[in-house]
Amino acid sequence: MNLSRRQFFKVLSGIAALALSPKDGLSYKGKFATLIDITRCDGCNDEPIPRCVKACREENKHRFPEPKKPIMPYWPRKTYEDWSDKRDKIDTLTPYNWLFIQKVEIEGKTLYIPRRCMHCDTPPCVKGCPFGALSKQPEGNTVIDHSICFGGAKCRDICPWHIPQRQAGVGIYLKLMPKFAGGGVMYKCDLCDARIKRGEEPACVIACRERLKDRTVYKFGHREEIYAEARRRAEKEGLYIYGDTQNGGTSTLYLSAISFEKIEAKLKELKARFQMPVKVRNLYKEEINPLGVAVLSAGAMGILTGVVGALAGKKQDDKEVL
Amino acid sequence: MGRKIKRYGAIVRLEHWMVALSGIMLIFTGLGCLPLFKRYYITELPGFKWTANFYTVTKLHYIFAIFFVFAVLFHIFYHGLRRDFSLLPKKGDFIASLKMILASFGLGKEPPADKWLPEQRWAYVGIGFTTLIVLLTGIIKVLKNLEWIYFGPKVESTINLLHTISGGLFILLFFIHIFFVLAVKSNWPLLKAMLTGYVDEEYVKHRHPLWYERLRKRLQ
Ligand code: SF4
Ligand code: SF4
Ligand code: SF4
Repeated sequence: MNLSRRQFFKVLSGIAALALSPKDGLSYKGKFATLIDITRCDGCNDEPIPRCVKACREENKHRFPEPKKPIMPYWPRKTYEDWSDKRDKIDTLTPYNWLFIQKVEIEGKTLYIPRRCMHCDTPPCVKGCPFGALSKQPEGNTVIDHSICFGGAKCRDICPWHIPQRQAGVGIYLKLMPKFAGGGVMYKCDLCDARIKRGEEPACVIACRERLKDRTVYKFGHREEIYAEARRRAEKEGLYIYGDTQNGGTSTLYLSAISFEKIEAKLKELKARFQMPVKVRNLYKEEINPLGVAVLSAGAMGILTGVVGALAGKKQDDKEVL
Repeated sequence: MGRKIKRYGAIVRLEHWMVALSGIMLIFTGLGCLPLFKRYYITELPGFKWTANFYTVTKLHYIFAIFFVFAVLFHIFYHGLRRDFSLLPKKGDFIASLKMILASFGLGKEPPADKWLPEQRWAYVGIGFTTLIVLLTGIIKVLKNLEWIYFGPKVESTINLLHTISGGLFILLFFIHIFFVLAVKSNWPLLKAMLTGYVDEEYVKHRHPLWYERLRKRLQ
């Protein structure tokens, strides 16, 4: 190695500068958001299957898992997650059903709440995936790449709503060590990534509007407009908002005439598979990122003490003594 | 016998143990960031219940990274600026280290070595390079989580995956390192030296004849 001290320093400071320069104007907040007005949803109770749910299944059916049977259990456990015989199930989230209508009765009123991924601004599922199978798109949606997903279901664990759903017997893990690691592939709403990238609206949004016309439940649009509209309507009509503060903000805003505290309490009482907690802290933002600043500072300190130590100490340290 | 020769200075030992201890904890918490502990009942071991919470494990991973990142960057800048490059491989090290490894299994004789054994230099480069990748991708993940930088989905995914893969490689090399220290008896004095700083003169005479020569010349 014939690096001079100056060259060596140049290279390293170059790398550091490159890594540390913040890129302005690029934010995690996506372009779009969805308003879900649950004061208007009747669960399509005059139809065999809610229009939005049907549209979602239709839109995504070519991406549904086709597991090879028999499916191996998750060794050393004897269990595995298989929904392939329950494809028709529409009253909960499954790998074959990425949107469902949650029915709750509160104070004599029946609420129908379309439930799917919230598309968080700071999505733990994306940050936590060890394989990089999840990503946050510029549009604001979070997307699972089914070809990389190992199906460890960590995203479901760290998602405050436990949205992603697992199907065993499919995916890349089958090609590696299927017995010992991996559990399938995770599935969830991707906000119709392909459609919105083409400039179209999500399938569920269109399907609901076809039925309810201008009283439609969903509104998909630019984030600022959706946020502004939700706040305006909440104020004017005395409605409650959900999704603007939860988990540090999301791209999905619910409007309800009944407070979300009441909805939360009811869902808790029902021990529903999908809850709606009002207080959702974003632990990446609140607890992990401050430690991240500490890691970076430690790096800077390491460089500083290294430079100072080298310049001050010169060559005494490695003088071997007899 | 009797005389001691200083092999590792205080700073080197401090660096080594800081990297080693934080490294072990980073390996454990890093593995805990993969969805495996629950499946393999580790979360059910007494005292290990906390490993079931990914957020706790991630926070600990960050905390140990504080020490690791400090030590590694200190190491690079301190020794880089002092131009302590004797641990980088030299010509002929490759063949010599093969002989060394064979000798540690009782096949043939060890070639005469300087202060650093040839395979030590290769190990250093291997572990060093892997460490750099884990460290860099880790720091990029931190920056990305802080949203100080933004790459777009493709690059982010690649970096996440790269951190996991290089982390796996780090674990592998880490265990190979520990194996060669513990299982090869002729390496035991080196372990002692990493703790106390010193090796016996006899050891140097036999195992590091080139280094011994230099030491003797310098003293005369
Ligand atoms: S959101 Fe619209 S389409 Fe879906 S169930 Fe409610 S009314 Fe029907
Ligand atoms: S709701 Fe859950 S799955 Fe959807 S983006 Fe947020 S954390 Fe991820
Ligand atoms: S946005 Fe697309 S994927 Fe998501 S629930 Fe609606 S139709 Fe399904």
